[in-house]
Amino acid sequence: MKNWKKVVTWVVAVAVVAAAVYVMALRLGLADGLDFGAGAYYWADIPEAEKIFRDGVYSPSLPYWVYVVLFLAWGWLMYRLWGWVEKKSK
Amino acid sequence: MSNKEKLYKTEDWLAVWIGFAVIAVGCLAVLTGWFDFSAVKFSTWTLGENLTEAQAAKVTALGAQLGSWVFWRKTLVTLLVLGVLFACGVKLQGESLKKYIPAFLCLFAVAFTVRLISAEFTLNRYLEWAFWALLVGLLISNTVGVPAWLKPAIRTEFYIKTGLVIMGFSVLFSNIAKFGLYGLGIAWIVTPLVIIFMYWLGTRVFKMDNKPLVITLASATSVCGTSAAIATGAAAGAKKNDLSIAVSISIIFTILMMVFEPMIIRACGMNQMMGGALIGGTVDSTGAVVVAGTALGPEAQQVAVLVKSIQNILIGFIAFFVALFFATKVNRTGSSKVGASEIWVRFPKFIIGFFAASLVASFLIQPVFGGDSVKAINGVLDQYKNWAFVLAFTSIGLDTNFREIGRQMQGGKVLWLYIIGQTFNILLTLFAVWLLLSGVVFPIPVLQ
Repeated sequence: MKNWKKVVTWVVAVAVVAAAVYVMALRLGLADGLDFGAGAYYWADIPEAEKIFRDGVYSPSLPYWVYVVLFLAWGWLMYRLWGWVEKKSK
Repeated sequence: MSNKEKLYKTEDWLAVWIGFAVIAVGCLAVLTGWFDFSAVKFSTWTLGENLTEAQAAKVTALGAQLGSWVFWRKTLVTLLVLGVLFACGVKLQGESLKKYIPAFLCLFAVAFTVRLISAEFTLNRYLEWAFWALLVGLLISNTVGVPAWLKPAIRTEFYIKTGLVIMGFSVLFSNIAKFGLYGLGIAWIVTPLVIIFMYWLGTRVFKMDNKPLVITLASATSVCGTSAAIATGAAAGAKKNDLSIAVSISIIFTILMMVFEPMIIRACGMNQMMGGALIGGTVDSTGAVVVAGTALGPEAQQVAVLVKSIQNILIGFIAFFVALFFATKVNRTGSSKVGASEIWVRFPKFIIGFFAASLVASFLIQPVFGGDSVKAINGVLDQYKNWAFVLAFTSIGLDTNFREIGRQMQGGKVLWLYIIGQTFNILLTLFAVWLLLSGVVFPIPVLQ
C-alpha cells in the first residue's frame, strides 16, 4: 500500500479511537432511565428487556406464514446471488 | 471414529449436548420453581464517577456485592455447572482431566475478573465483557505470558459453540412479524445485500484472501455486531484473531454511532419513526439501538427495537447459510459438486443445536408455557451464555499476540472494509426506510 494510504488509514484509526474515548470520558449518549448501553450486545443482555420488547406495539395485517414465506424466499434468492458472486470471483 | 462415536466424542456435538443440558436445567428450574439455577452476575458498580440521581440509583457498591452470601453461592453454582460440563466434554474428547481442571479454575478466575471490570458503570455502558475479556487476555499473554499448565483450558471454539447453542433459545421466530412488512422490509431486504456487497468488496476489490474474516466482519456490520460475529465466525471457521478484530471494530464504531447517529438524524429533521427504523437497521449492538432510539423519542425507541428484534432472528439463519456456503463453495477442492454426505461431514453441527434450541423456545415452550416463561428462562440462560463467551474471549486474548493482530489488519483493509460496508448499510437502510415509512409509497404504520 502506498505511503499516503497508510497515513490516511492511521489518521482515521486514531481519530475513531480518540472519538470513542472522548465519548466514554464524557459519558455522552447515555439514557438516565436505562441500566445499560452499547455493551448490551443482544436483547437478552438488557435488564428488564420485556418492558421494551413488549408485544402488541404493532398489529400485522397478514397471517404469520406469509412473513415466513417471504423471509425464506428472499433468503433463498440472496443465497443464489451470493453463490453467483463467488463463482464470478473464481 | 464411527458416526455413533462422533456424537459424543467431537467438539461440535459435545457443545450441543452441553448447551441442551444447561437449557433443560434452566427450563426445569424456572418452570417448576424448585431451585435457583441463576448464574452469578455483577451488578453495576462505580469507580466514583459523578452520576445523576437516576444513574446512581442503578449502582450497587462493590463491597456490598462481594459481602453477599447469595453472590458467592451463585458464583459457586456457575463454576460447578460450567466446570463439570466442560470437564466432561474435554474428557470425552480424550484430554486429561488432571491438566484441564486446574487450568479451568484459573481461566474462570480470570473470566471472573473480566466480568468484575466490565460491570463498572462507564465501562459497562460502552464496552462490557467481550472487549475486556480480549484486553485482559492480551495483557496477560503479551506481558507475563501464559504458563504451559494454563493452556489445556484455552478452548475458544468449544466455549463459543456451547454459548451459541444456549443463545439459540433466546431467538424467537415469532418476532419476524412484529412490525409487519415494514420491519421485514427494512431488516431483511437490506441485511443480505450488505453482506454480499461487503463480501464482494473484501474478496474482489480489496483482494483479501481471508474469507472467514470478511464474512465475520460483514455479518457484524449488517446484522447485530458481536453476537452475529461470534455466530458467523464460528460457522465460517474464522480464526481467533479474525473474531477479535471484527468484534473490536464493531464495538468501537457502535459507541460512535450510538451517540452521533441520533444527533445527525435530528439535525436532518427526520421524523421519529424513520429515525428509529434507521437506527434499528444500522446500529450494531441491541443495547446501543435502544439507547440511540430513546435519544430520539419514545416512538423512535419502539420502531428501533422492532426492527432490531427482527435482525436478531437473522443470526441463526445467516450462520446456517454461511456454514453451508463455506462447506459447499469456499472450502471445496476441485470443480465437482459437493455431495450431501460431504456437506454433512463438513457442516458445523453446533448450528443444528442453535436452531433446535430456537425451535424448542419458539414452537414448544412459548406456546405451551407463555412468553413470560420464555423470558424468565432466558433471564437465567443468558448469564450462562455470557459466561461461556467470556471464557471464549478471554481464551482468544490469552492465545494472541499484538503482532498477529497487526498482521491480520492487512494494512488497514479491514478498517476500510468496515467503513465502506457500514456506509453502504446506512445508505441502503435509509432508502428502505424512506420507501416504506415516509408515506410517499406506502401508508405510514400506526403503533399502539
